[in-house]
Amino acid sequence: MPSSPSSRFARSVLVRLAYGLLSLLFIAFVTFMANELAPGDAAMAMVGEKASPEALQRAREQLGLDRPWPVRFVEFVGNSARGDFGRSYFGIREPVADIIARTLPMTAKVAFPAIALAALVGVFLGTVAAVYQGRFLDQAALGISTLGVTLPNFVLAPILVYVFALHLQLLPLNWEPVQRAPEFYYLILPAVVMAARPTAVLARLTRASLSETLQQEFVKLARAKGVPSFRLYVVHGLRNAILPVVTALGSSFGILLTGSFITERFFTVPGIGFTAIDAIQKRDTPVILGTVLVTGALFVVVNLVVDMLQPLIDPRIRESQV
Amino acid sequence: MKRGFVFWASGGFLVLLVVLAVFGPSFRHDYLTPLGRPFLPPGPEYWLGTDEQGRDIFARLAYGARMSLLVGLSVQAIALAVGMVVGVLGVFAPRWIADPLMRLTDAMFAFPDILLAILIIGVFGMGVLPVVVALSITAWPAVARLVRTQAAAIKDREFFVASRALGAPALYLVLKHVLPHLWGILLAVSMVDVAGTILAESSLSFLGIGVQAPDPSWGSMINAGRFELQSHPLVIVWPCLLLSLTIFALNFFGDGLKSWADPRASSD
Repeated sequence: MPSSPSSRFARSVLVRLAYGLLSLLFIAFVTFMANELAPGDAAMAMVGEKASPEALQRAREQLGLDRPWPVRFVEFVGNSARGDFGRSYFGIREPVADIIARTLPMTAKVAFPAIALAALVGVFLGTVAAVYQGRFLDQAALGISTLGVTLPNFVLAPILVYVFALHLQLLPLNWEPVQRAPEFYYLILPAVVMAARPTAVLARLTRASLSETLQQEFVKLARAKGVPSFRLYVVHGLRNAILPVVTALGSSFGILLTGSFITERFFTVPGIGFTAIDAIQKRDTPVILGTVLVTGALFVVVNLVVDMLQPLIDPRIRESQV
Repeated sequence: MKRGFVFWASGGFLVLLVVLAVFGPSFRHDYLTPLGRPFLPPGPEYWLGTDEQGRDIFARLAYGARMSLLVGLSVQAIALAVGMVVGVLGVFAPRWIADPLMRLTDAMFAFPDILLAILIIGVFGMGVLPVVVALSITAWPAVARLVRTQAAAIKDREFFVASRALGAPALYLVLKHVLPHLWGILLAVSMVDVAGTILAESSLSFLGIGVQAPDPSWGSMINAGRFELQSHPLVIVWPCLLLSLTIFALNFFGDGLKSWADPRASSD
């Protein structure tokens, strides 16, 4: 059946949305099932492990845990979609949604500068490496990115803390509830540590993609026409080479996630990663499930958005959309 | 990547690491008992000094190496077993088995590894066993995907088509014509995967939800050392150094093996 480019484009958007929705359901299902299979449940947490079987049974009925699991899964998805993740087992039994609303912005404050830094430095390093391919600057950029990929976050963090916080005393050691300097200073080291790995990944990708683009005919033509070097590399080269890099930004989000757990722990930043680990150590199941669901959903949404951006950036994809 | 100095140095380092893991933890001192004063500097008695409780850092590092290697190898063994079965079924099983399996494999990539590990440890409890289970579950889909693409390529090669035309049973085909072609690439990829697993184990132990005290792990030693960064920076240096070197060595050794297993695949 013949179809216009715009309707094919619309269909591909719908297909991607459907995949995104399925991924969200899958994450919810795995989260629900893991909790289902694990020993102990909300009723046990309510009455305590030493309670009589009858009391436990009554608690189960009261919480609706005696219903079959498909029924409860549908309810779980419905509640989660409305942002209701239950309440923490401990303290003032704060709703999990409130805990996430409090800690997620904190994580974002570190993660956004980190990803911006990674994109800027990564694309810059990769461009330098591709332009000076095989020469000293290329080797140096490649060396830095190999180090960035292999050096674990929690090895980089103590090195930077030792140099910049303890030795030079330029930056604070870790996050403090009562701050003696503008918040900005507290965020520098965590953001740099978090950015290291994505920077390295993006640098390698940019180098590979750009050096391939620079060998194409239209670049040679532009050079022969006398286009100035800078314009040649950035406007002609990078504009065409940037697509795989944008895709990688999406998957970098996963790396960033791992980074956030470690960085927040190292610098005691009260973000969502810190909260999740704290909840595991206290066995605060609703908080664990809530944080996993929300970060997992964010991961899916970010990748979906990046996926959708591609045809907007690159007309070639827009045309060939099936 | 040529198999030059870096490749052989990495291999040598890995051999030393295995020796350290086997004999190190009780070679001179026990890794759990406080023996000397806290924070002794490196010397002839305690080669790398003692930690905040006066325990021998060398023995604890060696035990950490044992933990890392055990977790890395057992996770990889499980991932290989599951991944190979799923990957081979994905190519040779009837569609009603193959399709759902491959959909599941793809779906697993929608769940970020660290998040899945944290979920599993979160609901089943902390410790080495949950870490192994969690990391195995996150590791097998990559193996399955690799095996599937490799096996699908073999399916169209002449020797395979010929053998099948002669009426060889499916199991014979897989064991005789598919798996022998996969060992090289799987071994090479396993090195890099084990590096990832060791890094993940250290991360989880660093976060305090992996290997539990008093047993040492490189990750938990780094976590303990960060509180002494100002007064005794050496304490954190040793586990950081050993962990980084191990990750480097496994990656470079694996890369070298990859070009050996498949000369055409050798990249930059």
